[in-house]
Amino acid sequence: MNDRVELPQGTLDLLILRTLALEPQHGWGIAERVQQMSGDVLRIQQGSLYPALHRLERRGWIKASWGTSDNNRRAKYYELSRSGRKQLSAERDSWQKLIAAVAQVLGPA
Amino acid sequence: MLHDWLFRVRFLLRRTTVESEIEDELQFHVERQIEKYVESGMNRDAARRRARVEFGGLEQVKEECRDARGVSLVETLAQDLRYGWRTLRRSPGFAAAALVTLALGIGAGTAMFSVVYGVLLRPLPFRDASQLVLLNEAMPKVGDVSVSYPNFQDWRRQNHSFAEMAAVNPVKFNMAGGNQPENIDGLAVSPNFLPMMGVHPVIGRGFTHDEEKPGAARVVLLSYALWQSGFGADPKAIGHTVHLDSQMATIIGVLPPDFRWVERCDVMEPIGVWATHNDSATNRGDRGDGLVVGRLATGVQMEQARADMEALAAALARAYPEANGQNGVHLRSLRDAFSGDVGPAMLLLLGAAIFVLLVACANVANLFLMRGPVRAKEMALRLAIGASRGRILRQMLTESFLVALLGGVAGVSLASAGTPAIAWLIPSETLAGATVDINGAVLLFSGGLVVLSMFVAGLAPGLYATRANLQSALKEGGKTTGAGARNRWRDVLATGEVALALILLLGAALMMKSLHRLLAVDAGFRSEHVLKLKMDLRAAQYATDPPVIAFWQRTLDRVRALPGVESAAVGTAIPLTGDHSRNDISIEGALPKPGSYPHPDIHIVSEDYEKTLGIRLLRGRGFTPADKENAPQVAMVNATVAQHLFPGIDPIGKQFTFGHLEAGDPPNWLRIVGVVADTKMYGLANPARLEIYVPFRQAASNGMVLLVKSGQEPTALVSAIRSVVASIDKEQPIFGVATMQDVVSASMATQRITLILLGLFSGLALVLAAIGIYGVIAYSVAQRANEIGIRMALGAQRADVLRLVLAQGAKISAAGIVIGGAASVGLARFMTNLLYAVRALDPATFTAAALMLALIAMVAAYIPARRTLRVDPLIALRSE
Repeated sequence: MNDRVELPQGTLDLLILRTLALEPQHGWGIAERVQQMSGDVLRIQQGSLYPALHRLERRGWIKASWGTSDNNRRAKYYELSRSGRKQLSAERDSWQKLIAAVAQVLGPA
Repeated sequence: MLHDWLFRVRFLLRRTTVESEIEDELQFHVERQIEKYVESGMNRDAARRRARVEFGGLEQVKEECRDARGVSLVETLAQDLRYGWRTLRRSPGFAAAALVTLALGIGAGTAMFSVVYGVLLRPLPFRDASQLVLLNEAMPKVGDVSVSYPNFQDWRRQNHSFAEMAAVNPVKFNMAGGNQPENIDGLAVSPNFLPMMGVHPVIGRGFTHDEEKPGAARVVLLSYALWQSGFGADPKAIGHTVHLDSQMATIIGVLPPDFRWVERCDVMEPIGVWATHNDSATNRGDRGDGLVVGRLATGVQMEQARADMEALAAALARAYPEANGQNGVHLRSLRDAFSGDVGPAMLLLLGAAIFVLLVACANVANLFLMRGPVRAKEMALRLAIGASRGRILRQMLTESFLVALLGGVAGVSLASAGTPAIAWLIPSETLAGATVDINGAVLLFSGGLVVLSMFVAGLAPGLYATRANLQSALKEGGKTTGAGARNRWRDVLATGEVALALILLLGAALMMKSLHRLLAVDAGFRSEHVLKLKMDLRAAQYATDPPVIAFWQRTLDRVRALPGVESAAVGTAIPLTGDHSRNDISIEGALPKPGSYPHPDIHIVSEDYEKTLGIRLLRGRGFTPADKENAPQVAMVNATVAQHLFPGIDPIGKQFTFGHLEAGDPPNWLRIVGVVADTKMYGLANPARLEIYVPFRQAASNGMVLLVKSGQEPTALVSAIRSVVASIDKEQPIFGVATMQDVVSASMATQRITLILLGLFSGLALVLAAIGIYGVIAYSVAQRANEIGIRMALGAQRADVLRLVLAQGAKISAAGIVIGGAASVGLARFMTNLLYAVRALDPATFTAAALMLALIAMVAAYIPARRTLRVDPLIALRSE
């Protein structure tokens, strides 16, 4: 339990976009996938996930449509739009620059 | 940005849907989580509790989702609207003035657009209509003529540009059976016509390939309207027969309700039926009324098709010089054929209506500005407590949007009342079956006008309001804030109004002068108290000449005997209609080369034709009853024939024959016995052409116009004439009943509508501009009361003060007139084609319009300026 990490400011959007780059997914699926991919380290709070999804949809980076989930229920699926894809690669670059710079400042442990 | 707005608007419009979608989405999440816990072995109740606890406050998440979707902005908009609505409600006088002004402007624009859309823009009811082309033959010096059927067959076989071609021949029938015998119009078409156009009969079948050949059984398709009115919309009408020209024709189908054609079409028959009893089908030199429609092959442009067809027509002219002369070919898009030549006039009127709207907007903007000082303090206060300038601008635009929207609703209601009146003014030939109404496209356009009004009326006041100086506004209680800047705006707006009004006034004045000149044209005939009625003898008993001549003779004898009839005549043509048959002639002793034979109009007329129409007889004599079947053949010619074909010699006694002289064939000479004055056969604005008249007993015609001149109102004779005709042949229909004065005014319909509407629009603009100037001066007088008081206290004369105020009005109108005049010079070319005998840059009209506008502007300025005379210096000073 203790190896969980608080999500730094501004990384939630990046994680959502990255997850959706794999395949269209509903909100619950996105949270699950992030948790899985991070080896259970990152856990997204629902309270911030859904407002983020709606914000990204408004900006036109992701598109929403209603579909049927794997357990045969109506679910709202999100997928990456063309501009979302561009946004993802831009944010990924700047994130990598950021962690490289931070790591450099911190120096080897 | 756009996406963002659409997204927010969707939320506004579909609020409940979006709300329930958020609800559903969150619900799904919780349930999926519960399932996960159940799968991992938890019991269902515990799983539910845990999921709920983990999720947190459902309502709070929803609220955050709403925020994320930009709801707050929507809320602000709603707030702005509510606030704007309250502001307008508080000043009902202002709101009403703005609303009425915009309603007039938007109404005028909407009504004109509904006409433009109906006639010029609405897609034709055919598949890929942009690929459809109408083809005519074109004769040098004469212009468009019909296409001979053998030429059409060669065109269809040899062209390289068209996927398909079809012949379309207008035909006429007398249909018996109803309460009154009826003359109906139809089209005889190639069997591929309907499939090529993408038209499918609503019931029954179209034509088959075999029905192209002469000898085809008589079958017809009914128009939807005729099926409704004549057959009670009974589907069992298929297979029944109708009596057309006393022959039976089997009904095989019904055309769709939206089918329309350049000409009226009540029935449609296959061309094979037409070819069975029509010599034109095989005689290349015989041009009936046929036209050709083609569908361009994929990828072929109009210009390529034109070049291809011209080469083809030239080859045919070389191969058949006798029949084709130097005939070329004329191609135009079917769209152009449908809208005729009214396009420029309609677009001009639409432009004029939009100018009226702009004048209206300027007036409303001035009204907003006038409220400026009242609201300056409110605006300053809002800025002071932290509202952004953008927010204030948005507030002002929201208010002008509200006014524009309400004005738009009122304007559309005005337009829906006015559109039928405008449509009624348009001749039915121009409409060609087009319906003019307020529909989705028109409403969209009105919406555009609302947005335009919102910006034009709201932007100046909005920009002004956000520039308000905070401190001075609050300090001085909003009394004189930014008066200078505001007045500049007001002067600019009023100047714009004057300029626009001048442009419209000039347009109307030019049209008026043109129509006046047109009315003064000597038409060569007199239209007063003359009635015209058309008859077409189509029954079997009129297959030979003697019964035809006898019918006309009896009709003339009995009509002449009616009380009140001064004279009566029959003739194949009447002036101003353009619908005339022509033929080459050969003059004795003058042999022209092929292709350069004179090609006059040939009119078959009775004696008294020239007397009934008041056409002057210049030389020789008119026809008499003695010019009958076996008497020597005679003819009358018009002055143009005398001048051009017999220059310098007396044509009386000279001889000519129809067609071309052929060796060994003794010609059938006609001797010229009279010369009559030129009449305007093709419209008042068109020059006279070569006209030849022959007596009806020597050249029988089944279709004739009966002309009756009476001492009193000629329409009173219609029923008496109907009974006369019924007493001779009760099956014979009469149609096209009108007075010659109707014919004259119909020939000027486009000019008249343009003048009426342009006059209406310019009058409206003039009134609005006058109100605009009045408002500016009245406001400025009120504002300058102090200054005036001081001036007068210091000894200025009242006349000096009056001059000072009037100078402002003069400056505005002078600037407006200069700008409007300059713009008119640029816009004048749009009018050139609509004017007759008036140059678009007519100096006299320009001067008169400018003077009239200046006069109106000065009166509008003088009324409020006079108030300065009543300013009491003491009171004015004390009020400070």
